[in-house]
Amino acid sequence: MSSMRILACFRVTPDYEALRESAWSAAARRSLSSSGGAETGHDESAGARHDEIAGPAGFVDTRFVRRILDCFDESALELALRLSDALVGLGVTSGLGALSVGTPDADPHLKTLLALGFERAARVHTEAALDFAPAATAAVIAAYIRRLDRRDLLMLGARSGPGGDATVPFRVADELGWPCLTQATGVEPLADGRLRVTVMTDDGLQRLTARTPCVLAVGNAVVSHLRVPTLTDRLAVRDRRPDILEPADLGVDLTDALRREGPSLTTLEGIDRRRQSILIEGDTPRAKAQALFDLRLKSLLEDL
Amino acid sequence: MRFAAVLDGTSAASADVTATVVHRQSAALGAFLRGGLDTRATGETLVFYDDERGKDRLIELAPTRDVRLLRTGSRAFERMAALLGTQAEGGQTDLFLFAGGPAGTELATRLACRSGGEVLTDVLGAEAAQDRLSCRRSIYSGHLMGRFELSARPWCISVDLSWADSDEPEAIEHVLLSDTDERDGCGPGPFEDREPLESPSAGDLAASRLVVVAGSGAGDRRGVERIAAAARQMGATLGVTRPVAMNAWAPMDRLIGVSGARTAPALCIVAGASGAPAFYWGIEKAGLIVAVDIDEHAPIVRDADLVLLDDAVAIVEELAAIVAAEREAR
Amino acid sequence: MPLTREAVVEGLRGIVGPDDVITDEQILVESSVDNFRKLQNIFNVHTMPIPAAVVMARSTEHVAQILRWADEHGVNVIPRTGATATEGGLESVVADSVIIDGSAMNEIVSIDAYNMQATCQCGVPLQALEDRVRELGLTTGHSPQSKPVAHMGGLVATRSIGQFSTLYGGIEDMVVGLEAVFPGGQVTRIKNVPRRAAGPDIRHVVIGNEGALCFITEVTVKLFPYFPENNAFLGWTLKDMATGFAVLRDVMVNGYKPSVARVYDPGDAGLHFSHFAAEGDCVLLFMAEGAAGIAKATADGIQGIVDKHPECRQVDSAYIETWFNDLCWDASKITAEDERIRQTHNVNRTTEISADWSSINDIYQAARARIIAEIPDITMMGGHSSHSYINGTNMYFNYFFNVVGVGPEEETSKYYLPIIGIICEETLKRGGSIVHHHGMGKARAPWVKDEYGSSYYVLETLKHAFDPNGIMNKGTIIPLSTK
Repeated sequence: MSSMRILACFRVTPDYEALRESAWSAAARRSLSSSGGAETGHDESAGARHDEIAGPAGFVDTRFVRRILDCFDESALELALRLSDALVGLGVTSGLGALSVGTPDADPHLKTLLALGFERAARVHTEAALDFAPAATAAVIAAYIRRLDRRDLLMLGARSGPGGDATVPFRVADELGWPCLTQATGVEPLADGRLRVTVMTDDGLQRLTARTPCVLAVGNAVVSHLRVPTLTDRLAVRDRRPDILEPADLGVDLTDALRREGPSLTTLEGIDRRRQSILIEGDTPRAKAQALFDLRLKSLLEDL
Repeated sequence: MRFAAVLDGTSAASADVTATVVHRQSAALGAFLRGGLDTRATGETLVFYDDERGKDRLIELAPTRDVRLLRTGSRAFERMAALLGTQAEGGQTDLFLFAGGPAGTELATRLACRSGGEVLTDVLGAEAAQDRLSCRRSIYSGHLMGRFELSARPWCISVDLSWADSDEPEAIEHVLLSDTDERDGCGPGPFEDREPLESPSAGDLAASRLVVVAGSGAGDRRGVERIAAAARQMGATLGVTRPVAMNAWAPMDRLIGVSGARTAPALCIVAGASGAPAFYWGIEKAGLIVAVDIDEHAPIVRDADLVLLDDAVAIVEELAAIVAAEREAR
Repeated sequence: MPLTREAVVEGLRGIVGPDDVITDEQILVESSVDNFRKLQNIFNVHTMPIPAAVVMARSTEHVAQILRWADEHGVNVIPRTGATATEGGLESVVADSVIIDGSAMNEIVSIDAYNMQATCQCGVPLQALEDRVRELGLTTGHSPQSKPVAHMGGLVATRSIGQFSTLYGGIEDMVVGLEAVFPGGQVTRIKNVPRRAAGPDIRHVVIGNEGALCFITEVTVKLFPYFPENNAFLGWTLKDMATGFAVLRDVMVNGYKPSVARVYDPGDAGLHFSHFAAEGDCVLLFMAEGAAGIAKATADGIQGIVDKHPECRQVDSAYIETWFNDLCWDASKITAEDERIRQTHNVNRTTEISADWSSINDIYQAARARIIAEIPDITMMGGHSSHSYINGTNMYFNYFFNVVGVGPEEETSKYYLPIIGIICEETLKRGGSIVHHHGMGKARAPWVKDEYGSSYYVLETLKHAFDPNGIMNKGTIIPLSTK
């Protein structure tokens, strides 16, 4: 084969780990006292933006934390670049395209991808992030591929979004009529145009050969960081912008798709993990270990 | 409400269908049906298989009395989804239950797409009320629990694999209702030349009664290796947190947490991990949690039963020596 | 006749006993470097001479005996506590050096809430001291990013500065008295008084000596009341650094002492603030704290000053507060950053300088432009000002580059040192200082004579007077090649 065209999909997400613990308990409280999900409980103030869809998800206040690449998507992007490098090594032309479905938060990353050599970077605009809306997300991605940018391979994270949704890759595959591999951790090209893919299955790590077109959903890959473009790389694409599209451009009625979306998130609850937290003291590590053993472990281990 | 539990007996790497993977599916589904489905329901198990030799054992693993066998090719998920879709079309089945994991996710999703139903994965509990199914699962990387409502049937849910660690199932008298060969027209499938790369250890981690977790407080790869050696000495299985796995200080299949294994050991020693929700999710069900950390403000301190404020590697090594000496003395 | 490694180890064992003399190969290798060789450390590539031993000092008397012995036998010693140095100060540049580790001297000796002083041994982690005094409603006011891991001895030895220095001062403003041991074994205690004029302030011989003159065994620092409930945060985006510096100057000249006053250039702002700053924006931010009246007046005063600059667009203070709560290092952040570097070969380095108000923007612009033009593979070149004074400010250059075509051991020669060189040249040209708070270490020691000019005489004489045999941390502050 002479060419392989790859599309990598990603989302940006609030850096949930930068939220203080009080933010989570506040979200659960708001959810508890909410009146049917229409209120989000935010105050508008200078510089604030609504980032969450109306409803229970909006109770998590992420307005003031930075946005980062969803971690599995980041792996997918870097693996796509490495696959492209390997294809070049085989004398195969590869085109890399990037797609994000969501708010302008993704645009700086799309520009970075252009600087890294992606030939095309597009965003389908939505007013709020499509959290807990995998059907609508998949519909947009599939429509983009079918109508605008036919590709041989779709790579994206196996899980994404605040729900850790794992269904989007299969939904897209189903709509396109493509096979789908999930929990992929590595991919290499073969000379005949097929791909050798490493996947973590229910039954351990395996390698297999896949034909394109197909969907690769990337899981716990050791490759987890996107390479960094130089200032020179960025300068070279200074005048390029990501393509910004509307769902309607792809023939998707987003409002309708969201209305038909199911399952729907109705409430959030906090998780109380606190345990006894009894401190075992001692002057040395050995003394502490001995105290622990004498206090609880000896009898527990005897039972096991 | 009528349900169908689905067992994928085609995905074991070896022909031995008593392999852990099918056991865990069966255990998870069985336990969920007994304890996680808060609703009166009757149903059957649909078992996909590809090798005649394993049939009888698969029937034994079915979590319901009524069993139907369907022979397909190995991992022929599109064919399986089509067959389930036909069943769904009949309108008799409200709920399809799959075991969590890649295969269950794929089947549940493909079936929902095909049949116009709804899918939710990694479900911890479900109850039917009026015309809806209300399900609980973790969201925001283990920070919160979310309740979801499914309306359009069939409801396709995959059961969180932690259900597999519940009590021993009772023996069931099975009735085989049908055994059909559905391989006709089943192509070789889109994926070929499958080779296992290493023997799975995730299974033994998830089922282990004694787990030692190494976090980034181990300091470096050598620290993790020392903790691993101490774990072996104690007869414990090693798990690691995400930073440790991503740094390749330990194999990825040792990862515990939202994106890795969920464990339910009787004893879990967490050495040098701060206890972020995404990790803690993987050890929540442990009977006794012992935290070893130098930072008294780490969340794990509050979320553990017993706490030692000291160096992770030093404590675990001392403990292993004590346990080993005790074993010898006995 | 230099001692053999075995003789060094034997000599040390004779003083402290075998248990406190560490000769484990891995530990010695790791002890040959500090964060200056960060990239090599991440890839486990070690090129510095391996020390002969790490000796754990458990008392001032130990330190005195060790230094006396080292002085007698010409053994190079490197004082160390928390090991968070970034400029090569802890590197062993000659063979068979000895690291004197004071981290076991970790007792908080006293906390005096009436006289507002705390005394602790050199190995007390700053975080531990801070946690203790917080229980009493007090704070040390010292909060470098290394707070979770740094120890008091090293913090004083490097003239460190913290995030809240604009209110509380640098370490030199916080130290009251101290105890230090000199190469001949002399133990010197400087008493705790609020001020005196009994000759020159000799504390400044010790504060900032970076282990080149003595070993600090105990410090006493001031304490301050802690009013977190009064913390006020303010932030703006704006288009150019010149305006940012002008605003900072206005705030300082008018006598306000916010605990935090910073301006970030677009590159550096992009790393932290892309969720509220557009591409090309600078970010100006302040934090005011203290007693209610003071915090409010400070915040109001700053608001009034910035209001006079319509080109500054105010942002919700919640952005600043959220970002600030997440700022200090911790073990998992360090691990994650190391992993990122290992995978991408993209390295982050910093160099901080100081200068007066007239020069600072020129230095920033000139250095930045030269680095972008002369150094290959730069992926980000920016920085921020974070410590302001009535008569000037610092510039904390923050930059990233891909390491291309060379191994980790050549990163310093291909990229890092040339960048440091450009920054030092542009700074010295305009009368600034080449190091604001990280210490000279060994990295910037080659510029010591340019930095000091004729006053080098004072530094050199101090070195000869206190360390005539040249055993104290060879290569630090004064490079090996300079006599």
